[in-house]
Amino acid sequence: MFDYFLQQLIFALAIGAIYGLIALGYTMVYGVMRLINFAHGEFFMLGPYIYTFLFSGLLGLGGLAPVLDSAIAIVASFVIVGLLGVAIERFAYRPLRAYGRLAPMLSALGMSIVLQSAVRVTVGPQPVHFPAIVESTPIDALGGMVTTVQLGILAAAVLLMVGLTLFVNGTRLGIWIRAASESWTTSSLLGIRVNRAVSLVFFIGPGLGAMAGIMYASYYGIMQPTMGSVIGLKAFTAAILGGIGSIPGAMLGGFLLGAIEVFGTAFLPILSFGYIGTEYRDVFAFAVLILVLLFKPAGLLGETVSEETTVAKKDY
Amino acid sequence: MALALENVSKHFGSLVAIRNLSLSFDVGSIYSIIGPNGAGKSTVVNMIAGSYSVTSGTIRLGATALNRLPKHRIAQLGVSRTYQNLRLFDGMTVLENLEVCFFPQSWLTFLTGAKRLSKAERLDICHACLAEFHLSDVADVLAGDLPYGRQKILELARAFVTQAPIVLLDEPAAGLNHTETKDMAAMIAGLKREDRAIILVEHDMDMVMSISDRIDVLNYGELLCSGTPDLVRTNERVQEAYLGTTEELDDIRKLAQSRRAQGGLRANAGIVRH
Amino acid sequence: MGNSVIVRRLGLLAVLALCVVLLALVPYLPSYYVRVADSILVYIILAVGLNLVVGYAGLLDLGFIAFYAVGAYAYALLASGQFDIHLPFIVVLFIGAAAGAIAGVLLGFPVLKLRGDYLAIVTLSFGEIIRIAINNADDLTNGPQGIAGLDRASLFGLPLTSPVHFYWLLLVLTVIVCAGVYYMERSILGKAWRALREDQDVVRGLGINTTTLKLLAFALSAAIGGAGGVIFGAFQRFVSPESFTFQESLLVVLIIIIGGVGNIVGVIAGAVVLVILPEILHFAAQYRLLIYGVVLVTVIVLRPGGLVSPRFNLGFIIRKVRTLWLSPSKT
Repeated sequence: MFDYFLQQLIFALAIGAIYGLIALGYTMVYGVMRLINFAHGEFFMLGPYIYTFLFSGLLGLGGLAPVLDSAIAIVASFVIVGLLGVAIERFAYRPLRAYGRLAPMLSALGMSIVLQSAVRVTVGPQPVHFPAIVESTPIDALGGMVTTVQLGILAAAVLLMVGLTLFVNGTRLGIWIRAASESWTTSSLLGIRVNRAVSLVFFIGPGLGAMAGIMYASYYGIMQPTMGSVIGLKAFTAAILGGIGSIPGAMLGGFLLGAIEVFGTAFLPILSFGYIGTEYRDVFAFAVLILVLLFKPAGLLGETVSEETTVAKKDY
Repeated sequence: MALALENVSKHFGSLVAIRNLSLSFDVGSIYSIIGPNGAGKSTVVNMIAGSYSVTSGTIRLGATALNRLPKHRIAQLGVSRTYQNLRLFDGMTVLENLEVCFFPQSWLTFLTGAKRLSKAERLDICHACLAEFHLSDVADVLAGDLPYGRQKILELARAFVTQAPIVLLDEPAAGLNHTETKDMAAMIAGLKREDRAIILVEHDMDMVMSISDRIDVLNYGELLCSGTPDLVRTNERVQEAYLGTTEELDDIRKLAQSRRAQGGLRANAGIVRH
Repeated sequence: MGNSVIVRRLGLLAVLALCVVLLALVPYLPSYYVRVADSILVYIILAVGLNLVVGYAGLLDLGFIAFYAVGAYAYALLASGQFDIHLPFIVVLFIGAAAGAIAGVLLGFPVLKLRGDYLAIVTLSFGEIIRIAINNADDLTNGPQGIAGLDRASLFGLPLTSPVHFYWLLLVLTVIVCAGVYYMERSILGKAWRALREDQDVVRGLGINTTTLKLLAFALSAAIGGAGGVIFGAFQRFVSPESFTFQESLLVVLIIIIGGVGNIVGVIAGAVVLVILPEILHFAAQYRLLIYGVVLVTVIVLRPGGLVSPRFNLGFIIRKVRTLWLSPSKT
């Protein structure tokens, strides 16, 4: 039993790390702009596609060891997706800042459709094989089966999260981001280039999402244009769970959601005597989302809604 | 006794905004709540109207306790208000801003039509109200297109159109110039009636002194003094709260004059104008 | 009365007659075009229904298609061989609307206190949950295979079989729904909804229970959705979860966005555009979704108020017509 548990735990941590990385993108954007970027899941999807394109291209050129090709492709994917994020913010969200919250949200929705359809139209809707970065060798850990890929994902994700935390807390640019999250007007009055902070957030967030996508694709070995939708929604749930706007919250929420999903679906058939099966796994995330929003919308680490803000004008 | 605050306290976390406040208001009079900034005036209004919860104590309208009721229930019981930062329905016409106030307030009235005004009756009342507040000429103008002064008047009209017995006015003269303020003061004074209590929160002392029957002075969430304008005007503690003690005044004067020597400060800077 | 008045009035009558004639001629077009017209009318009804919630009450419901599905499956379960129940069409129509309304209240109740963006996500999730549930509840709904061989609908003895029959039915329903919503908009309820959209806190301060207002909008729009679903089921005589994806919700939202939120005339224009566009571009069927996305982003960014100006609504047209009819002759 214990080895099964450990196996599931590692799996939950790995998938949780992936959710966390994507959730970071949602939470940072929300923190600075109070906007839920519906299109964020698509950056997750674009990552592996762009990586594959670059990797095969570099491989075809020859001249470098495949490991180096892979590394270059990974970094390049981060940068490309990040720049795409900056561009999308600049052209699809920024013009709508004065129009309340509904308009940017719809624009994000549209952007999400455009990105997904563009990939589907170019590459085709069917799943495509994703070239493995690291050979997947199983490791016997205290009796359970754990693969190097899982551990690799976990390690890489943790590294990225630590890196982000150090960046946001230590560097000047990071302080810009935190200041802009607290108060837009005050920050601009203090001379902080708030727009730069926003662009930065739209570079890092999508970039991290792309990394998560590459990890996910390397774990399952395939990728398809629709992979961003459901995962995006789940990662959003993770961000809400941890408290939207809070960076540590997003990471915590990711791991928590991973655990709930993995352990929940593992035990669900047992608990319901086989009536509700594992195909309801996606419903889990939705259910968690709805429950959190209804009972504790601030999440675990999020900003508590003060009374002053509840006498707000409108919903959006 | 129509509206009463009984030992009301309001805490925002660890900040005590209102401390054991007891006040009572009766129909037929105009009351003003004044005090330095941060004294808690708007907090009191917000608590009566139900926007803020009451940490301890009770707010009573007649025999009914208001503080646990939802905002719309409190309004239905007869409390109407204006907002400090002008909250009209900008995309709707002036007439429509008033009409909305007559939305049927319970399922019973909605379905059975009992106690419900017909469209004609409703429009009559609204037009009469517009005439009373000199807004008839802009009845079909969008509220957001009106000049600021007239928007303030519309906000005022909206609070009075349903003949609510308790009317809370949150800084009705904010942002108005001297003439507009005098007009506003005259208008409010003219709205005094036997069956209604008007409670004002204001900074403009001319308005407050000229139209109030009773003035309640708050400072740091406590009641400092309560009485007629003459009483309040000459009360020492009030003067201290607003103007500082005489020692403080001397210090301020010295500071101002020393800086003046360094260049460019007006001689009267440092004396607080109310 | 001067000559110009007579001329003007004759002109207005001529335009009216032209519209009536054009609408009456549609059934004589080839079946394909009649189907397109039917499609347009259904989407107009749905969009006007959703508009109650999005445009008037200001709540972004992205799971609207769930109510449509409820109606469609109501017909599938109550007028077919699935459980061998064969209720008449008109009865199921009312049941479908009622079922939709109940679903709307059930969904609306818990989500009403949520802020706009959260509301959108939760309603989206709800729509997906309904679809997944329908897909998996094999015993009840036949799962992904759907239910086929639904009863032929008939109204007061007249069978509704061809697209032409449905055209007339839909035309009548469209007029009823649009007229109903128009009068509701002008009533005190409509004003309360508009005020709600502007500043819901002040609305509470006026003694209005905003929760009831929102629930009413939800219930009404869901009822319209449900009724639409029943008609869909009766028309296609086959339902499956495939017809009720998020994309369909999105299409209805898109119609409202393009047409201008809260504007019946705009919604009609939007429905016409968004139904005809893929038909014209049917050679590029795989690009359809991409085009929808591009259209959405472009319209939102360039004209956030919608393509059709909000001033140009039904009330405006009626006033214009009235002025033209009544104004005295110019000397």
